[in-house]
Amino acid sequence: MSDAPPPVTIEPARKSFLGRASVVWIIPILALAMALGVAWQTYNDRGPLVEIVFENGAGIAKRETELRYRDIAVGVVEDVRFAEDLSGVVVAVRVDKEVAPYVDASSTFWVVRPELTTTGVSGLDTVLSGVYIEGSWDSEIGPKQNRFKGLVEAPLRSNGEEGLEIVLRTTPGGNLTDDSPITFRGIEVGRVGKARISQQGDFAIAEAIIFEPHSRLISPTTRFWDTSGFTFSVGPQGAEIDFSSVATLVAGGLTFDTFVSGGARVADGTVFEVFADEVAARNSLFIASEVEALEVRVVFDENISGLAVDAPVELSGLKIGKVQSISGVVDADEFGDSRVRLNAVLSIQPARLGLQGEVTPEAALAFLSTRIEEGLRARLASASLLTGGLKIELIQVDDAPDAVLLTGEGIIPIIPTTESVISDATATVEGVVTRINNLPVEELLNSAIRFLDSAEAFVSDEDLRETPQDVRALLGDVRDIVASDDVRDIPAKLNAALTRIEGLVAELEEQKVAARLVAALDAAEAAANGVTTSVEGVPALVDQIRAVAAKAEELPLEELATRLAALTSSAEKVLDTDAARRLPADLGAALKEIEATLSELREGGAIGNINATLDSTRKAADAVATSTQDLPALVDRVRAVLDQASATITGYNKGDVLSRDARAALRDISKAADAMTSLARMLERNPSALIRGR
Amino acid sequence: MDIAGQNLAIKSARDLGVVACTRCTKVWPAGTATCGRCGKALVARDEKSLQRVWALWLVGLMCYVPANMYPMLQTRTLLSVQEDTIVGGAVELMHHGAVGVAVIILIASVVIPLAKFMAIAFLAISVTRPSSVSNHHRQLLYEVVEYIGRWSMIDIFVVAIMSSLVQLNTLAAVNPGRASLFFALSVIFTMLSAQAFDSRMIWDVQAKQKGAPEE
Repeated sequence: MSDAPPPVTIEPARKSFLGRASVVWIIPILALAMALGVAWQTYNDRGPLVEIVFENGAGIAKRETELRYRDIAVGVVEDVRFAEDLSGVVVAVRVDKEVAPYVDASSTFWVVRPELTTTGVSGLDTVLSGVYIEGSWDSEIGPKQNRFKGLVEAPLRSNGEEGLEIVLRTTPGGNLTDDSPITFRGIEVGRVGKARISQQGDFAIAEAIIFEPHSRLISPTTRFWDTSGFTFSVGPQGAEIDFSSVATLVAGGLTFDTFVSGGARVADGTVFEVFADEVAARNSLFIASEVEALEVRVVFDENISGLAVDAPVELSGLKIGKVQSISGVVDADEFGDSRVRLNAVLSIQPARLGLQGEVTPEAALAFLSTRIEEGLRARLASASLLTGGLKIELIQVDDAPDAVLLTGEGIIPIIPTTESVISDATATVEGVVTRINNLPVEELLNSAIRFLDSAEAFVSDEDLRETPQDVRALLGDVRDIVASDDVRDIPAKLNAALTRIEGLVAELEEQKVAARLVAALDAAEAAANGVTTSVEGVPALVDQIRAVAAKAEELPLEELATRLAALTSSAEKVLDTDAARRLPADLGAALKEIEATLSELREGGAIGNINATLDSTRKAADAVATSTQDLPALVDRVRAVLDQASATITGYNKGDVLSRDARAALRDISKAADAMTSLARMLERNPSALIRGR
Repeated sequence: MDIAGQNLAIKSARDLGVVACTRCTKVWPAGTATCGRCGKALVARDEKSLQRVWALWLVGLMCYVPANMYPMLQTRTLLSVQEDTIVGGAVELMHHGAVGVAVIILIASVVIPLAKFMAIAFLAISVTRPSSVSNHHRQLLYEVVEYIGRWSMIDIFVVAIMSSLVQLNTLAAVNPGRASLFFALSVIFTMLSAQAFDSRMIWDVQAKQKGAPEE
């Protein structure tokens, strides 16, 4: 007994889900899994988004512009939009995951654009590819930051460039070119960054970097100066143009040198001054650095033409400043009338005054104030005689009327003036020019013209034209004279005379006068230790010989010849001289006279006279020959005398006194003998000397 | 439009107790396991057909999404690299005034594939629940989808031809974008999806519709 089981509803067995499902479902599941996997991986690989705020978004495009680090793309711009207050452009950059941790607070970003500067072209690749954003960060992971301020310009130091960062400051009044190279010995070793004006506006300041390894060239004594532009100077060596390189000529540039060796290395951020030139830089080592200039005024009543801006202001010859500006001023209240006065504003460099202690414009003003009470005054003085330029001198005036430095709030202090010392070179030059101007140039020219007219008239004179004919006649006469037989005979006769003389000389030689004289002298020498009293005859003899020679000399042969020569040369001169032309008429007369004289000469037998003279000369020479013939005999006699003397000396050989006298006598004899010897030699060499007396 | 015989009771093969081989079209008595001529397994209705349709359809649709998001063609010239998606390219062409070309591209690459997805989906749904569209129209739609499906590959052909012709090194180059692969896959899967559809089921629904009131 059992209950019947309840009726069971029988349903057909459902196929299991898997049994009903088609295998084909694997495909969409697989595809879905892959898609999900890819999506997750993409999301996972995605780096963080950083936002960079730039001033403008020139050239930045979504999904195109890359972020680069060391020139390798590490990200891409995802979005470009304006900042909330439209103050800039926010560029959202998806940074690659690998580098994202390094993009920390130290990162800097800037846009690289093609740039064409005087020193070169940069970013040329961006011309084709478009701009890109360059990032720079260090290799340490720092605190995370997602919003950055983009730089306007590329920083000086980027991507691991090592270098010393310094600050360059201009001297007051100087200027500084930014983005210019810093060269050392012509090699670029650094760069000047963007320059800006200091808060007070009195100098420009710029950051600069000196790349490694050149930073060791910088020490605290290093001085920088400007090499931009060129200098032109005219000196004793001529004109000179000097510039260091074309790049610095156009773009400017700085260079530096360490004038004093040694010195520690400097730290980043050290401030250096930039000087106008090397000289100033060098000098700066020895003077205090310049500070803000003190401005003072000088009001001149007088004409200040020649005073220019930048003219020097000197104190006792030392330049302490310069003229800053010049203007006219009319102030009836201040000066009592409404005349135009000239107002020069001077900028005085307190550092140049050599003040002790703190060098400030205030200290300089106090110093000047004291000095002005003691009599310091300003005056104009000539700076250059050549240009007439003026300078302003501050000088001590002992008996100056009392004056004080006018100071006050908001006004420029006024320095009192004194009388100017201006040497007026211009006036002097003007005087000279006036005198030159006053010269009677026109009269002079008129005279010259008149003179030339006269000269022309003279040259064209008839008489002058006839002169050549007269000269020709005269020459004909002279030719006649020369061609006359008497004149022709002169050489033959002279020749005969000379032949005679030659014969005479030969005769002399034959007699061997010289040899005999030598022998006689030898004998005299042998008797040298003797004494004689009878040698007086020898000088007499010599005198006689001299007299004979003198007589021979007195013969007028030479004179005649000279006279003849003089006459000829006179005639020549008369014929030759330019002066002959001066007086044509007179010349004609004179020539006629000469002609007459010559005719007379021809007729009057002057030649005959000459012949007679020559004849007497011959006679005289004969006489000389005769007297010369007597000479051997004379010499024989001398020898005899000397022999005798020799014997005498032998007799008195021992006497001291005698010996002394004898020595004196011997000296005389010796001298006489010497004279004889020289005479003989002369005769031997030049027998005609006997005739001519020398 | 009325199709002749629309209102006639259409007898299906199953009604007649036969089964046709889908490969060689030989008709066999119902219950035959394999086709005696070509050896294909014979089924009166492929019960898993719809599953395959939907699975492949889904894959095709999945591929169609990146095919439109990624660039289809990458044109690289000396100065620039341009990547265009299908729609983006068409819009650009339109901006340049080439409206005709843009329309062709849009029709071939967007309208037709989308229409295909919708058509297949419609067919697959319509065999499981009552539909107001007549069986003849649905059969026609199926045939059109089958026929037109292959022409969607024209995009891929263009990309392939361009890529092989324009290769001037650095000067200019055309490369297929990532979308081309997805687009090709999408076309392939929709074609497979369409093929997987057993069109005989269209007529079963009619039978059911007609049979229901009868019972």
